[in-house]
Amino acid sequence: MSDLLVVEDLTVTFPTTRGPVEVVKGVSFTVGRDETVGIVGESGSGKSMTSLAIMGLLPKGARTRGSVRLDGTELLGRPERELRRLRGDQLSMIFQDPLSSLNPYYTVGLQIEEMYRAHRDKSRRNARQVAVEALAQVGLPEPERRVDHYPHQFSGGQRQRVMIAMALVCGPKLLIADEPTTALDVTVQAQILRLLADLRRESGTGMVFITHDLAVISSIATRVLVLRRGEQVEYGTAEQVFAEPRHDYTRMLLDSIPRIDDEVSA
Amino acid sequence: MARYLAGRLAGVVLILFLVCLFTFVIFFTLSPDPAVMICGKTCTPDRIDQIRDVLGLNQPFLTQFTGFLGGIFAGRDYGHGANLVHCAAPCLGYSFQTNQSVMDMVVERLPVSATVAIGAAVLWLLFGILAGLLSAVKEGTWWDRTAMGLALGGSSIPNYVLALALQYVLVVRLQVLPFPQAVAFGDDPVVWFQSYLMPWIVLATGYACLYARLTRANVIDTLAENFMRTARSKGLSPALTMRRHALRPALTPIATIFGMDFAALLGGALITETVFGLNGVGKMAADSIAKNDQPVIMAVTLLAAFFVVIGNVVVDLVYTRLDPRVRITAR
Repeated sequence: MSDLLVVEDLTVTFPTTRGPVEVVKGVSFTVGRDETVGIVGESGSGKSMTSLAIMGLLPKGARTRGSVRLDGTELLGRPERELRRLRGDQLSMIFQDPLSSLNPYYTVGLQIEEMYRAHRDKSRRNARQVAVEALAQVGLPEPERRVDHYPHQFSGGQRQRVMIAMALVCGPKLLIADEPTTALDVTVQAQILRLLADLRRESGTGMVFITHDLAVISSIATRVLVLRRGEQVEYGTAEQVFAEPRHDYTRMLLDSIPRIDDEVSA
Repeated sequence: MARYLAGRLAGVVLILFLVCLFTFVIFFTLSPDPAVMICGKTCTPDRIDQIRDVLGLNQPFLTQFTGFLGGIFAGRDYGHGANLVHCAAPCLGYSFQTNQSVMDMVVERLPVSATVAIGAAVLWLLFGILAGLLSAVKEGTWWDRTAMGLALGGSSIPNYVLALALQYVLVVRLQVLPFPQAVAFGDDPVVWFQSYLMPWIVLATGYACLYARLTRANVIDTLAENFMRTARSKGLSPALTMRRHALRPALTPIATIFGMDFAALLGGALITETVFGLNGVGKMAADSIAKNDQPVIMAVTLLAAFFVVIGNVVVDLVYTRLDPRVRITAR
């Protein structure tokens, strides 16, 4: 069976007053069905731009080259109208800060429902039932009651659960998670990571997991792509990259993970 | 909720009481003797004493003040014996100039001010918000720059300049409008509309320009929010994304400001009403100040304070409906 997502030589360019700047420089990777691929890099490495390019959500003025194929369908250069039909349905995304990523003016139920109704069933009653089930699936207690609550009435971890419920409500083939645990407490991080891994396995969704934290990647991804200043410096299975990093930059990132047996130097 | 409302209303009463007190103190200590003014040119010391006695001006401050307050809630009597005049509650006294009941004057003029305020509000909300929206969506384009340049200019034109310019162009030169006259809506709706049109435009212009700039800024800020990116990532239609996710957050603060502005206008648009000779509360305020007609000044001050304070409470209550993050918790 062919790969779910094929990214080939993806380049993203922004026009600036001092000429065009390449923020992603020829990145290539694949995501298999039922697989998690991690993208690692520090801020400004181009990892978020890569994910926005796949979603077709790059800021105005950005230009792309190369190829992004989802299930054999080319996404780059596709008309916005068709991309919109795919977005949320075939591929969806969860973001770093769940509080600002949810609209504070509407109940979480409505925000899940509107996505389902945009792609699937227009009827309100079914959508509500689907929203309640989606909230139950991400382990939110009392989903029938919580569905009518507003984002500010949830804790940080619960909000990210809501985002995950929303992203998966149409059963997408590909889920992009852009630093989904960065804004959370360490204990909550672990819970969310486990939830994502479990749900992904159950639904057989392919996942791109973006983070600056190699420790997180090691627990969730089978393959890892390391980006630095828009360039792909390493790409391989998680074991390879962690055991024998070929690039100094990867080694540096690995060394920056604090270890429990580290000596505390004065 | 009931406790919250009770607390707010107590606050309203307290503020209005303080406004009363301050206004009263200012006129009691600073203004010339009203008895002399009322008496006019043909005056005798006896007559002045008589007026002082009838109005209670020879009483100590506290007695006069409680008399005024009592008049509002229970009505009061002026003078005694054959000269006794009863003023029914709510009594704001009698104008020194015309001897008319101030309450009657307010009741007569309030509809004019309300008409001016409502008509202007409709205009400025419509044009201000539309222009602001268009500018935000077309940020940085030719339209945006022109509209915002005009808005900046429009909000810096003084009302009286705009009023005179409009009158000169529309009434004198082009003769598309008749000279404004006091006509009730029921008598002649067309002339009524024509008479109010210029005041509406004049009053609305400044607000429309301000609201256009506010709307533009709010919409641009909202479009940059993370939840807008989420909405796009969900594959919602652009119309739904704009209407549901951008407009409500962007326009909610405008509703607050509108409540305050509108409430303040109900207390009278002083300049606009005076320039167009509309007998509203604003013109009444201007006239009373010019002639030091104390009971009328007291009344217009209180009325303006009343609308502003009540407007505040209404805005706060409405806000809890508009923004789910704001919930009333009684302390």
